[in-house]
Amino acid sequence: MLKMKDVGKVYRTELVETRALTSFSLDVDEGEFVTVTGPSGCGKTTFLNIAGLLETYSSGTYLLDGQDVSELGDRQRARLRNRKIGFIFQSFNLMPDLNLFDNVDVPLRYRGMRASERRQRVDQMLDSVGLLSRKKHLPSQLSGGQQQRVAIARALVGEPRFLLADEPTGNLDSHTAAGVMELLEQVNESGTTIIMVTHDDSLAQRARRNVKILDGRIQSIDQLADSRIPATPVSDRALSANA
Amino acid sequence: MEIGPIFRAMWRNRIGVALIALQIAFTMTVVVNAIYIINERSRLMARPSGLDEANLFYLRSVGFQEGFDEESTIVEDRILLQATPGIIDMTVMNAIPLSGSGSSTGVRVNPDANGPSTYTALYRVDEHAIDTMGLELIAGENFTTAEVRQLGRLDSGSTAPIIITEALAEALFTGGAAEALGNTLYWQVDIPMQIIGVVKQLQAPWPTFASIENSMLIPNNILDGQSLYLVRTEPGQVNTMMLRVEELLADSNPARIIMNVKSLEETRADSYRIDSSMARILLVVIVILVFITSMGVVGLAVFGINRRRRQIGTRRALGATQGQIIRYFLVENLIISGIGVTLGAVLTLGFNIFLVQTFNMPRIEWYYTPLGMLALVLVGLLAVLGPSRGAARIPPAIATRTV
Ligand SMILES: Nc1ncnc2c1ncn2[C@@H]1O[C@H](COP(=O)(O)OP(=O)(O)OP(=O)(O)O)[C@@H](O)[C@H]1O
Ligand SMILES: [Mg+2]
Repeated sequence: MLKMKDVGKVYRTELVETRALTSFSLDVDEGEFVTVTGPSGCGKTTFLNIAGLLETYSSGTYLLDGQDVSELGDRQRARLRNRKIGFIFQSFNLMPDLNLFDNVDVPLRYRGMRASERRQRVDQMLDSVGLLSRKKHLPSQLSGGQQQRVAIARALVGEPRFLLADEPTGNLDSHTAAGVMELLEQVNESGTTIIMVTHDDSLAQRARRNVKILDGRIQSIDQLADSRIPATPVSDRALSANA
Repeated sequence: MEIGPIFRAMWRNRIGVALIALQIAFTMTVVVNAIYIINERSRLMARPSGLDEANLFYLRSVGFQEGFDEESTIVEDRILLQATPGIIDMTVMNAIPLSGSGSSTGVRVNPDANGPSTYTALYRVDEHAIDTMGLELIAGENFTTAEVRQLGRLDSGSTAPIIITEALAEALFTGGAAEALGNTLYWQVDIPMQIIGVVKQLQAPWPTFASIENSMLIPNNILDGQSLYLVRTEPGQVNTMMLRVEELLADSNPARIIMNVKSLEETRADSYRIDSSMARILLVVIVILVFITSMGVVGLAVFGINRRRRQIGTRRALGATQGQIIRYFLVENLIISGIGVTLGAVLTLGFNIFLVQTFNMPRIEWYYTPLGMLALVLVGLLAVLGPSRGAARIPPAIATRTV
């Protein structure tokens, strides 16, 4: 699914040149759950941004589903982000002026989907994270864990095959974090490829592979569990039972 | 498009939106009514006077020495001017059209002094008036030399010949010019006047006179020591002839002085000076108001965009194209403008009714309001285009980079 070879990223400002990533090579297969850890400033977000087509890279090659993404224009990148990739952010990034329904609806609108289909999908998604009854509420009326579940619903509503999460539990207490983690695991079990950046080692250890980054380079890749893609999709009830 | 969520999001910031919408509404009210006033003034200024204005000038010959004989001076002056190349004709009259000063009177079809009268300007002239002014005689005849009395008042009991404008004829007779010809009119002085001719147009001397097209020519000048000459020149010679004639007349008779030499075009410009400067001031007001309002729109947009940088980055991360971001802000702007111009349309009509009632102006034409609405919506879209394009350039990476 994701194939990076010798990817380098250099940030240039007037005074300094920061090498955020150097000869970064990583393959992620369809259906994997990969966690990324490393000290602050080592380049985790940079990697995730490049993987998710939010940023371009300075050197090397990156193939997403076999396609060289350096050839894509801004519109095509936006389209891919919309259809293929889901994002979960550390600080949730919900639109504060929109209620939960409208928030989850955002990516579908950019896809130009019919209203009736959007409504059905959004309701179903909110239901699966256990927040359907609060769809008219504003994000500010929810707890952090609930907000992140809305953000996960938004990331998944378009049925992306690739989910990128940048410290999704970073703003949550450990109990709530564990709930969000279980939710992500279930999403992964239903077939979605996940790359998750985290500072929490215990969470990092739950994935199949853990990539450790140091100073923009891969320090180690730990194989943690057997590769296993579940045969049965997860039921809605199981998803909402967590977090 | 996502009008629903945009509207719901705006509802949470409704104070700022309401203020800008109000500003748009007030701007539209003032702009539309100001344009209407400007057009109204321009229409008044553009009305023809009926005269060959481009080739006319006038002057005053004022006697100041004892023994100055006004009547013989006029005769001598006429001979002198007729012999001057470049001069077509001259007339001696009591008032100059467009000049702002002259006399008016009420005339009646019925001899009964208590009957209703119609107001008209009164020009005391001689038989050269029609040719000099360049009037178009559409019925009847000009005065004969014999009919012109330079000496004082008309004799009581006699009938005076008059020439009136077509507008006055239509105001007095249902049959207009045709019926007027040969008919008799009465005025304060109990002297009947017989209509011997009708001219197409001759405006009264006052641009604001309600019956500006009602004029009447009477062949009877009053000698009072100062005579007013209207002089018509060959086309394009008015400026040179003004100087030449002033010199000629001053030299020919040192018992009088020549004063107030002025072309009719200058006279028109002076008469409508207030109107044209008002139009110019209103134009400046329009430009300033539209500028301030666009700045308000730009300000609100820039403020909103800066406040929502991370949201915009997140939208980009979730798959919005640059075009979709631009469209978001254009739609947002359309909603604000829509509210503004709808309110503006109501205020515009209200303000116009006030103008109509207070200043006795005609009602605004129906198409002013929709055109004003359209114009302000376009101004808003134009103003918001720059900020929207800036918003579209916000990188999607903002979504993960800002906390
Ligand atoms: N837009 C930018 N301009 C310049 N330097 C940048 C920019 N973004 C990131 N960097 C630098 O690149 C390096 C990697 O940053 P990155 O955000 O990827 O780290 P991180 O591993 O995500 O850190 P954290 O755990 O604190 O989130 C850092 O040194 C950072 O200062
Ligand atoms: Mg980071």
